[in-house]
Amino acid sequence: MTIFQALLIALLGYLGSIYGTFLFGTVGGWNLIGRPIVAGAVIGFIMGDVRNGIIIGAAIQALYVGLVTPGMSVPGDVNFASYIGIPLALASGASAEYAVAISVPLSLLGVAAIYSVATFNAVFVHLQERWIAEGKLKQAARIPIYSNISEFIVRFIPIFAACYFGAEFVPKLIALIPESLADIFQVLGGILPAVGFGLLIKYTLKSNRQLLYLLIGFIMIAVLHMPIVAVTIVALFIAFIDYQITSGRNAD
Amino acid sequence: MAKLEKKDIRKCYVNWMTFALGCQNMERMMAPAFARMMGLVVDKLYDKKEDKIKCMQRHTQFFNTEEAMGAIIPGVILGMEEKRAEGEDIPDELIQSTKTALMGPFAGIGDSLIGGTLRPILCSIAMGLAAGGNLAGPAFYCVAWLGIIIPLTWILFSRGYKFGINATDMVFAGGRKDAITRGANLIGLIVVGAISAQYVTANTGWAYVSGDMEITLQGILDSILPCLLPLLLTLLAWYLLDKKGMKIGKVFVVFIVIAVAASLTGLLII
Repeated sequence: MTIFQALLIALLGYLGSIYGTFLFGTVGGWNLIGRPIVAGAVIGFIMGDVRNGIIIGAAIQALYVGLVTPGMSVPGDVNFASYIGIPLALASGASAEYAVAISVPLSLLGVAAIYSVATFNAVFVHLQERWIAEGKLKQAARIPIYSNISEFIVRFIPIFAACYFGAEFVPKLIALIPESLADIFQVLGGILPAVGFGLLIKYTLKSNRQLLYLLIGFIMIAVLHMPIVAVTIVALFIAFIDYQITSGRNAD
Repeated sequence: MAKLEKKDIRKCYVNWMTFALGCQNMERMMAPAFARMMGLVVDKLYDKKEDKIKCMQRHTQFFNTEEAMGAIIPGVILGMEEKRAEGEDIPDELIQSTKTALMGPFAGIGDSLIGGTLRPILCSIAMGLAAGGNLAGPAFYCVAWLGIIIPLTWILFSRGYKFGINATDMVFAGGRKDAITRGANLIGLIVVGAISAQYVTANTGWAYVSGDMEITLQGILDSILPCLLPLLLTLLAWYLLDKKGMKIGKVFVVFIVIAVAASLTGLLII
């Protein structure tokens, strides 16, 4: 593969990643050129073999067709699977099955990338807050532009290196991450949302007794596993009853 | 007189869709994108610098939804913020509670309708058309996806904006501000409790092993209350922030220390 092809694929891989922001967000990125079937056509075009690109892309797509990424619970990440798996399979003349096989460890690597970026990006949150407090509002508004550098680094460099230096590079890259470090990141990623919720509670809570409302919401998910829409309907009902009581009316 | 023109609304929509996940982070999720959107119109809404700062600060709080169906929320909030800037006495907490109450349901609806239904259906059709490497497959997906998602998100956002304005008028005309604020507050609290059970994950790996017998701490905790550790961690964060008056940066460091120590000792596992 030429260096130009590798650079182009790496750039598109970054733009089509979940937090790659510059193709109208997920509309043109993650959900469009980020889909393996579209990526297959695009990579095939760059490498001069559209037909096989689409065949391999469709095979990877089949594996991930039902993949939903609600909140931060990410079961797999198609980005590396597409933008590393498809070019390597095309370059080596390998079958679609080979691309599907390596797409599994690649998608796990992609999940590690998602967690590291989302954990690191908290730095930008604090920077934005500081700039707002200092009155630098224009810069503060530009934070989501600047912060995309973390996603760029985590996507562009591995994809470029894997495409350019070839197939033996990928297993080495996966082995490069020490397991304990990956564990720490995942644990941190799991408990960090608590800080955001803690802050939200601080601003919503009027008295300590109101923690009971919080607990009711918590139990509806943790114990009863209710869908969030149902939780909201119950919450509406509770608010309605509260209104009836506090306004001193009889229930109608 | 309305402070925002049609082109401001369009600008806010484009920027919301573009940057919703641009600074996605574990701590406040989509909050930086929300603050950015308000930052684009804050000069039109307020004259005084401190009002502008306060307006943006309101939107640095935790916010997460599904960005396409959830596009209605920044629309609604934009309408409310405009009314507030025009002099309506809308309390901060009503704006915050509205965001909190809406983000969960629309995340649920969006994840199941967009990620769980629309996208898989379009992908399946595209895969069928792509048999043998036919370009019709990917081409169909691109046209169908863009043709559905762009009008859908724009309608949600712009209708949300109009709704935000009308709903505000309705609430204030009826003199029901306090009741509505209190109600939105309660709903907000219940939803925060619910989504913290959903988003915060912490499982302990500690176990007592004796011969064939193994008692796991997680098993015991689950029999008391499932997700007890996430609940305690959330309350710990709130306690440090509210009762101890700690700065957010410090709490952040506390949680990093907890993660490193707990992960290395096996107290918390993934």
